[in-house]
Amino acid sequence: MTTQNNFWQHNRTVLIFALIALTMPFWFPLMGGYSGLDTKIMIFCIFVVGFDILLGFTGYLSFGHAAFFGISAYVTGIMLKSFSDNIIPAILVAVLAATLVAVIIGLLTLKRTGIYFSILTLAFAEMFDSMAMSMLQKWTGGENGLTGMPTPMLFNLKMQGDTVFYFVTFMAILLFYLAKRIERSPVGLMMKAIKCNQTRLEFTGINARKYKLLAFVISAVYAAIAGALMVVYEPFVGHEFLGWHQSGEIVIMSVIGGVGTLVGPMLGAGFMLYFENVLSVNLGEQWLLVLGAIFMAVVIFMPGGFMEGIARLKKRYFTTVDGE
Amino acid sequence: MAILDIHQVSLSFGGLKALQNVNLKIEKGTTHALIGPNGAGKSTLLNVLTGMLKPDDGSVMFDGKPLLNVNSYDINQLGIAKVFQTPAIFPEMTVLQNVTIPVFAARDGSFNLNMFEGRSKQRPLIEFAEQQICELGLQNHMHSLAGSLSRGDKRRLEMAICLANKPRLLLLDEPTAGMARHETEKTIELLKSMQDGITKVIVEHDMNVVFSLAEKISVLAQGQIIAEGSPDEIKGHPKVIEAYLGEAQV
Repeated sequence: MTTQNNFWQHNRTVLIFALIALTMPFWFPLMGGYSGLDTKIMIFCIFVVGFDILLGFTGYLSFGHAAFFGISAYVTGIMLKSFSDNIIPAILVAVLAATLVAVIIGLLTLKRTGIYFSILTLAFAEMFDSMAMSMLQKWTGGENGLTGMPTPMLFNLKMQGDTVFYFVTFMAILLFYLAKRIERSPVGLMMKAIKCNQTRLEFTGINARKYKLLAFVISAVYAAIAGALMVVYEPFVGHEFLGWHQSGEIVIMSVIGGVGTLVGPMLGAGFMLYFENVLSVNLGEQWLLVLGAIFMAVVIFMPGGFMEGIARLKKRYFTTVDGE
Repeated sequence: MAILDIHQVSLSFGGLKALQNVNLKIEKGTTHALIGPNGAGKSTLLNVLTGMLKPDDGSVMFDGKPLLNVNSYDINQLGIAKVFQTPAIFPEMTVLQNVTIPVFAARDGSFNLNMFEGRSKQRPLIEFAEQQICELGLQNHMHSLAGSLSRGDKRRLEMAICLANKPRLLLLDEPTAGMARHETEKTIELLKSMQDGITKVIVEHDMNVVFSLAEKISVLAQGQIIAEGSPDEIKGHPKVIEAYLGEAQV
């Protein structure tokens, strides 16, 4: 009995997310979402959930996670183009490459905290961006981007349309579930303790640096998987994948949604992409202005993001019954 | 037998000699107080013991193992815990989570890749943490946020964190600083009640606390140990009166 309760308690959010995600092709077009946008939202859900393991758990704000997203996208593209059109080896090699880069960047940047850490990560990402545009142009396609990939295959299955959506959604559910598992593990506890009081943590016998590096690398792996899936979704890689704009967008999604909640950033990602692609049609170029206003409003009035808003509503409408 | 052996430790900050050839032996199972006027080097000495500062010279042995050039977390894993002047806790976590951290640190060491292990499945460990919390009288705050506790309770929580990975040596840096009288008395009771073999080194300004807890006292002044002995010997020591009590009366 209790084990069943535990199962429900632990996996409730994952199951709800799975339900919402898997039914998306049915209800999303009714909201004006074009076909394919749901896939993109799922890809960014993966990106932000991973990012929340770093920002939300340890409190380290990276402005360079586009580097892992972009490196992985380029490697996936190159693999598909010149090795095999099967996405499995392409994704594996791409994620491995991005992970190696993450270990090196993590070791170097995590020596610093706060704004210095943020700027260092930004600098590294910009370095990769300019490399893609100059010395690596031969492979990355420079300004024109990387094109000419064959239709990606999952063994004998053509990755097109709904197949891509369900493949990406399956990955998103799995990766969200794993992130929840990490949150409930001793590792998750140590990561969250870093945000609270790093000195006390070290004096409690914990090597905080290793846990920080682990959080950094895990979040980079998530970013890399998202980057690889982006190429499966759309056979194109542009250098903007590596740019600071991309890194910033992830930060905005996380903050709007609610840092540290795992679910919140996914809400933020859904909101941002929907806004950017659907609502902006009516607003034209002004949509960034509106987005900026929303971002400010959230930060000022609801620093916990959408999740704080939801919690407040819950409190107002559901606890009055208990006489609070 | 000495559990901690500080031998000829010297440390300067620029021109200031914070510690000069300090020799100190702490006997196993005793409560040893370090007193001295402000700037005497008491906190500096504690920081050397916890790996925060590296001395220019000398050696520190804990239970036969050298402590210098060892990281803070490894020093803690060896069995040395520190209670800070301002209670150092994890404010955004619940009291239970606060104490769960050292319990897992004791089981897993300074780093473990058990990313997918459910914490709640480790019943015996969680129960041990709960027991520690109850022993320090915080059972009514088990699921409260640590940051919302009163100062006295924060101090208790910090003690629970320190005791949960079963240290052999507990360093206390002015544990009653800024406390009201009744809170100070409670803290003294608390420290007295945990006499089960833990060696304690306490830095304290409140002589009432020192004389009611310490079995041995060392007096530091200007980075040097100027006197050492039982509380009675120290009370009447002329050098101590000159350097410490004398100054306090001015």
